[in-house]
Amino acid sequence: MEENLGTLLRELAPQVLGVLVRRYGQFDACEDATQEAMLQALTQWPADGMPASPRAWLITAASRRLIDQARSEQARRRREFDLAAGAAASAAEEDVPAVDDSLALLFLCCHPVLSGPSQIALTLRAVGGLTTAQIAAAFLVPEATMAQRISRAKAAIASSGARFVMPEPADRDARLTMVLHILYLIFNEGYAATAGPDLTAPRLSAEAIRLARWLRRLLPGDCEVAGLLALMLLTDARRAARAAPDGRLVPLDEQDRAAWDRDLIAEGVALISETLPKGHVGPYQLQAAIAAVHDEAPTMDATDWPQILGLYDLLDRIAPSPLVTLNRAVALAMVAGPAAGLEALGQLAADPRLATYHRLLATRAHLLEMSGDAAAAAAGYRDAARRTTSLPERRYLTDRAHRLSGKESSPPM
Amino acid sequence: MKYLLMIYGSQEKWESMPAEAWPDAIARHEAFNAKYRETGELLGAYGLADAVNAKLVRRADGLPAVTDGPYLETKEYLASFWLVDCENEERALQIAADMPFADVDPVEVWPILHESAAE
Repeated sequence: MEENLGTLLRELAPQVLGVLVRRYGQFDACEDATQEAMLQALTQWPADGMPASPRAWLITAASRRLIDQARSEQARRRREFDLAAGAAASAAEEDVPAVDDSLALLFLCCHPVLSGPSQIALTLRAVGGLTTAQIAAAFLVPEATMAQRISRAKAAIASSGARFVMPEPADRDARLTMVLHILYLIFNEGYAATAGPDLTAPRLSAEAIRLARWLRRLLPGDCEVAGLLALMLLTDARRAARAAPDGRLVPLDEQDRAAWDRDLIAEGVALISETLPKGHVGPYQLQAAIAAVHDEAPTMDATDWPQILGLYDLLDRIAPSPLVTLNRAVALAMVAGPAAGLEALGQLAADPRLATYHRLLATRAHLLEMSGDAAAAAAGYRDAARRTTSLPERRYLTDRAHRLSGKESSPPM
Repeated sequence: MKYLLMIYGSQEKWESMPAEAWPDAIARHEAFNAKYRETGELLGAYGLADAVNAKLVRRADGLPAVTDGPYLETKEYLASFWLVDCENEERALQIAADMPFADVDPVEVWPILHESAAE
């Protein structure tokens, strides 16, 4: 019951906040009031029963908090809130669809004046309805630090003059790209856990999926939103198989594919299959399509590598990045042999900024291992292990080097 | 990403600093700490006592065996450290370069590989 109530409240949070901000302005104060109203509901509803309209109840409760706060501020500092004007405007507010409010809120939280960590924190609180304590726990920082980050983000929004409206059509695509990037970062934080021994902090990846589902309901026609959701579903499907019970990282070719979540795969595959033919292909859709090919393959060897290579070729053309080059090199090695893959890595290695990038070192070691050069591969894995800043990755890479060193000492065939 | 920022010092170095220079040095460090606490990036700042206060503890036959002094014999020892959580390495280096005495002594920056939750 309590969990269901929490979920319902968090679904309603952005709608309530959206209405308040449009009525009263003052994003900062409205956001605090919304959180307080949610806390009030969490204690009051189980005791008094659910109100007929939970959304209206929350809007009223949050408005009261705002008015109380304005009164005490007035008494203290003789400053006035434009509550009267706000109340008058509320008569006309039903004209504004709730969808626009929710989207405007998301765009505001992912505003380009904010740093990445601030965008993430603010999105999780104002849109996701998580408390500051929950967000702080997910990122392993003191609650006071996270509170400071959130209040500073709100202050930055206020002083930038960013308004609670939809972005101009000319900016919209770039702003939406940023929103999708933030949701993807939240997902990855939960999936790859940049800090700590656990490979999965399920709460953040689940939260990112929940927000992506919500965004898809708001923008059902956007192909990249669908692509991002599909990518998350198809990646999360492998979560149970990705780490051994002792926390060890299990690479794709050694994963127990029976442990992959078939429901998530079916949902992700259906979503990407209906999206791709619409012809507005973007990087998230391509990554989702690649994940789908992996998820549908019964084994590593039975994977349709030519198709994966073709998808990486496309991705490399529309959204080139070092990571795409690395993954494409692996696909190329599976299709045309390790020498071709190693050659494709050559250009990256020539870039001094990337020469010590641990993923490049690990990928090259993997391709050297494929080509039978165990000594060079072991040295490469060891080098990569020293460069990574993730503990599970370091364990995995060190283990890989050990296994090959064993082979190294055995007599040549 | 979390990073550890460290500065090193020695008794000689502290002794060479005139007494009247200390209040200003401390105030500058406090201002630095306040600035990054306010950005939500500084998790904690700590200064260590002199190396003569350091003890070395081992366990022998299940009991603590305590001796004097730091483990590593070096001319300079860890003097202060800061734990920061920021967007990326570039930002960590930027914060390190903003340390009050980065123009005099280097600041060592280490990425944090692992941590346990406080709870």
